Amino acid sequence: MNQFRSGDAMLTDWREAAGRFEATVGAVVLGQARAIRLLTIALFARGHVLLEGDVGVGKTTLLRAVARALGGAYARVEGTVDMMPTDLVYHTYLAEDGRPRVEPGPVLRQSEDLSIFFFNEINRARPQVHALLLRLMAERTLTAFNREYRFPNLQVFADRNRVEREETFELPAAARDRFLMEIGLEAPRDAEARRALVFDPRFHDTDALIAGIDGDVLDHAALPGIAAAIQHGIQASPAIEAYVIGLWAALVRPGEAGIRLAGLDMEALVQGGASPRGVAFLVRAARVRAWLEGRDWMVPEDIRAVFPEVMAHRVFLEPVYEMRRAAIMPELCRAVFETVPAP
Amino acid sequence: MRIRSLAAPALFLAGLVLSGPAGAQVRSVEVRTPRPFGYFLGDLVHADIDLVVEPGFRLQAASLPKPGALTYWLDLRDLDATSAVDGDAQRVRLALTYQTFYAALDARALEIPGFTVTFVSESDHGATTLKAEVPAWSFNVSPLREVQPPARDDPRAYMRPDGQVGPGDPRPLLLGAAGSAALALAASVALARDRAWWPFRVRAGRPFGRAARRIRALSRRPDPTPHHRDALLALHHALDAAAGRRLLADDLGDFLQAHPAYAAEGSSLARFFEASRRTFFGSGPEAGFATLGVADLAALARRLARAERAA
Repeated sequence: MNQFRSGDAMLTDWREAAGRFEATVGAVVLGQARAIRLLTIALFARGHVLLEGDVGVGKTTLLRAVARALGGAYARVEGTVDMMPTDLVYHTYLAEDGRPRVEPGPVLRQSEDLSIFFFNEINRARPQVHALLLRLMAERTLTAFNREYRFPNLQVFADRNRVEREETFELPAAARDRFLMEIGLEAPRDAEARRALVFDPRFHDTDALIAGIDGDVLDHAALPGIAAAIQHGIQASPAIEAYVIGLWAALVRPGEAGIRLAGLDMEALVQGGASPRGVAFLVRAARVRAWLEGRDWMVPEDIRAVFPEVMAHRVFLEPVYEMRRAAIMPELCRAVFETVPAP
Repeated sequence: MRIRSLAAPALFLAGLVLSGPAGAQVRSVEVRTPRPFGYFLGDLVHADIDLVVEPGFRLQAASLPKPGALTYWLDLRDLDATSAVDGDAQRVRLALTYQTFYAALDARALEIPGFTVTFVSESDHGATTLKAEVPAWSFNVSPLREVQPPARDDPRAYMRPDGQVGPGDPRPLLLGAAGSAALALAASVALARDRAWWPFRVRAGRPFGRAARRIRALSRRPDPTPHHRDALLALHHALDAAAGRRLLADDLGDFLQAHPAYAAEGSSLARFFEASRRTFFGSGPEAGFATLGVADLAALARRLARAERAA
């Protein structure tokens, strides 16, 4: 009943491919259907993703599985306190003949074919590295060896440990705003998945697990084109536009929207954030979600499905409430959706 | 020389002032009683005592007899003193009420003892006191019965019937009861308001009933098609009100689980959400109208309102 118009057969084919992609990753990473769905949305929205979660819940495995299933060139670095921006760009060493050599670092090594840049433990890197990343994420360009490198297919996946605060550097607001989504990952609740993860030896050897993934489920080179087609193909009615603007206003000024949360001063809760870029990202992700659901028009459920991951990390609370952000933001998002009228 | 001529009149004046109290007198003491005879056991004996003294003297209240038992047969029940200036004299009236408990066997005179009242005049040079002797006075008491009454068979015959007690005045008690009742009522109203009991409890509204009326009114318009949107909105608001939050199409399952009264309308509600999606977010109102017309909407709202009343 939700048929695409003629000429959109390509989008239909790609939707099936996306389904296969989700199934492939889901077979390897158990009990994370929601995170996998959000990562798929991020892939087709061409957005960068920050994974956040406890130790050992499978952040790295999930990102490696996605990178493997996507195919294309892939580079990976580990964030450390002493890492400098040049460590990403250049690789310096003494060659066998005893002479110093400067060669391209992890970012440049795969040349401009790089499709996924995977930054492990991003909050261990210094702000200088974050600044380099900022440009890489915003403009997908880098200047090195006296020329500009372009990475048209690049997507940055980062993960971050939520538990540790020692020797870590909080991401600057500008860098956080450039991530399309910040996905919280938790250990699966499902008893069956938990048992399999603990007892099935298949899940103990991560390298073999990842190597078992079929490497070309999606054509990574065609992704930017298909992403643009999705953005043009999915319609937004005036009602959904009004709805998104209403959500935005309620999120930034919850007190005026009539939202009351127990124990919080609603007038002095939100300091700022929720940038126009963020709301544009929200609509982009919602369009992809509508496409994945087989519609060529958006409904409020599309917005709601991606809202917490896309918007929550862009809202900056007053310092008094910032430490309780993890508890406050889901409540606020829920209240926003319970308050703003859908049609 | 000059000093001596001034001192002479001053000494004379001082002599006058000092000689005043020395010559002060109690001018009169008068005891007045209503009658000196005809008193029985337990009677009250009133006496007024008029004392007239020189001006400037003040009754010393501590010198007055204290109310209470004076002798084994006599009580002083009450004493009231009033002072007034009468011409160039000071007049003090003591109103005394005695009660006699003397069980007389024959008529005889009893003497009420006298007492001394002290007056004080205070000046810069000191205080002058003046004592007025109130003399003892007597009155006659009579027995209540014969010394040897005639013999009776029933000892109770000696007893006299009890006196009648008056009807009493119930008004203060009634007023008190009414006031307490009013206070209790006000308190219970305040409690009911605080606890949101009956008159203050907001009755669960009937959003579907309201929506059904509104949609019926819309469907009766000559051309209901343009009002399709409003009818959808009315039902949306009713669903939002029933759920207590904004209900999207995907939430229908949860809603039906939480409100099983509407479970029978599950498929119709799914069609309604489909129509609403198509109208507001999809290809346009025509598609929504084809899915669910205004008449069907009105019928759905009516059924929901009926389920709401039954719930």
